[in-house]
Amino acid sequence: MTGRLPWLRPLVAMCLSAVFFVPLYLVLANAFKPGDKISGSPASPPWPPTLDNLKAVLTRPDGLFWVSLTNSVLITSVSVVLLTVLSAMLGHYLARSRSRWARVLTLVLLAGLMIPPQVILIPISDVLRVGHLMGTVPGLVLFNVGYYVPFGVFVFAGFIRTVPIELEDAARVDGASPAAVFWRIVFPLLRPASASVLIFLGVWIWNDFIDPLIILGPSRGTTITTGVYRAVGQYQSDFGSVFALMLLATLPVLAFYLALQRHFVKGLTGGATKG
Amino acid sequence: MPPVPTAEAPPVRVRSSPPAPRRRRRTPLLGRLWHFGLFAAPGVTVYACFVLAPIAVSFGYSLTNANPFNPPTRYTGLHNYAQLMHDPEFWTALRVTTILTLFVTIVPNVLGLGIALLLDRRGKLYNALRSVFFTPVILSSVVVSIVWSRLLDAGGPVNEALRALGWHDPPGWLSDPSYALYSVASIISWQMLGFCVVVYLAGLQGIPQELVEAAALDRAGPIRRFRHVVWPLLSPALTINTVVLLISAFKTYDYIKVITNGGPGAGTTATIAFDVLQTGFDANHVGYASAMAVLMLIIVAVATAVALRILRAREVDL
Repeated sequence: MTGRLPWLRPLVAMCLSAVFFVPLYLVLANAFKPGDKISGSPASPPWPPTLDNLKAVLTRPDGLFWVSLTNSVLITSVSVVLLTVLSAMLGHYLARSRSRWARVLTLVLLAGLMIPPQVILIPISDVLRVGHLMGTVPGLVLFNVGYYVPFGVFVFAGFIRTVPIELEDAARVDGASPAAVFWRIVFPLLRPASASVLIFLGVWIWNDFIDPLIILGPSRGTTITTGVYRAVGQYQSDFGSVFALMLLATLPVLAFYLALQRHFVKGLTGGATKG
Repeated sequence: MPPVPTAEAPPVRVRSSPPAPRRRRRTPLLGRLWHFGLFAAPGVTVYACFVLAPIAVSFGYSLTNANPFNPPTRYTGLHNYAQLMHDPEFWTALRVTTILTLFVTIVPNVLGLGIALLLDRRGKLYNALRSVFFTPVILSSVVVSIVWSRLLDAGGPVNEALRALGWHDPPGWLSDPSYALYSVASIISWQMLGFCVVVYLAGLQGIPQELVEAAALDRAGPIRRFRHVVWPLLSPALTINTVVLLISAFKTYDYIKVITNGGPGAGTTATIAFDVLQTGFDANHVGYASAMAVLMLIIVAVATAVALRILRAREVDL
């Protein structure tokens, strides 16, 4: 088939990919369109373009956009850094330990990959209230670390099993402490795994909806993703603001993805080819 | 920081006559505890506090009639579970969740494989297209839900296009109870498809070209080459995709909350995940919602274990 019709494959592939581009186009186009035109003709090109929607979102008197952007950046970056460090150490410990307890612990952690958040969220306020963390950013960060640490451990432990142990043994024979072996020898070798953990968890936590909605609560602050949800409820009629907010919420994660997409794909493929 | 020398003296071998024992020399207990405390304890503690402890609390609640606005809380044993078994709403939610999970596990898997086969070529164009297919994966489910709600609105662009194509009376994809669940499932599939494409592409690119060429020399046509060489070697990719889709589809909440809020009509799109949070936070029946959540955990654990067992059994090693 390809032999006879060499143009068919790229043509079909491009037509199909259009289906995947349309919604993104919709966000882009409608963010620059006057609000009253959006419900009438959402698919039309934004001509002439207007910056009113973006301006309205950016200069809201209560500063909602800036507050939620700060929250999102803070929560995502602190959670992701903590997760990378903690799950690299834990993954290394579990991958290298040969005791039965370590194997049981690995299973308990991997089971965490499939736990639905609902079974945690119902009593989460009781748990967080014990440490006065309910409705606070540190509370959400700690929840994120606990909930996503299984994913980090899964990636790191799988990667560490492919790194020869001889390197560590050599350093240990030279008298390096376990901490020095980990930070100076092992951690630098884990860069590809760290990149996948950083990227995946960064995107997930940035886009997270239900956890910040419940843990930060309705009145105390909001992240940019919950902000988009609230904006729909508040401004049913003002779709211009909603689309502008969606564009602003998506841009950071889109830029992050485009900058790091090589690692993104590598991170996925590393897991996929090894099973 | 230079490598810190430890105080321990190098091990001195006293007797050299017996062959070295098979077991590794064990480090002293204190050292092992210190190692655990330094490397494993921080992560394990956070996991225990914010995942294991809440699950235990949920299980505890599920045995009570807890309701913060209707004290006192009493121990009611398995009453909640018994009541769930006779709750038509729960059975509806289970049915909705099952349909949604099956749809979202199968459709992106099949289409993703097709698109991966289509894109399995080298070159700038194919790399760029792969990025386009993957982009929905990184979008927030809230944004995806809002955009598709607009697109699939009864008078939205999709129906306009369908009318232009000659379908005079297209249904309201999200407002008609007989279509809404499948529309939501399609939206989720749309978002997850790129993930499957990338995983299948990675699997395809890991297949040694010699094998496919050898089969071609044996006069195997494209279909037989796929059926007997490529497809068996893609089984690890199939395992990953199926398990990831199964787990994420089963806990679908965001899309339902934003797109349909459980409707149209009585719970036509209300998944268990949705019902748990509505019952627990909006209706404040914490005990009853906890029982539902515990059942949810058991169902997903069993389903994942079964799926893994079946899929692992058919994986082949090169």
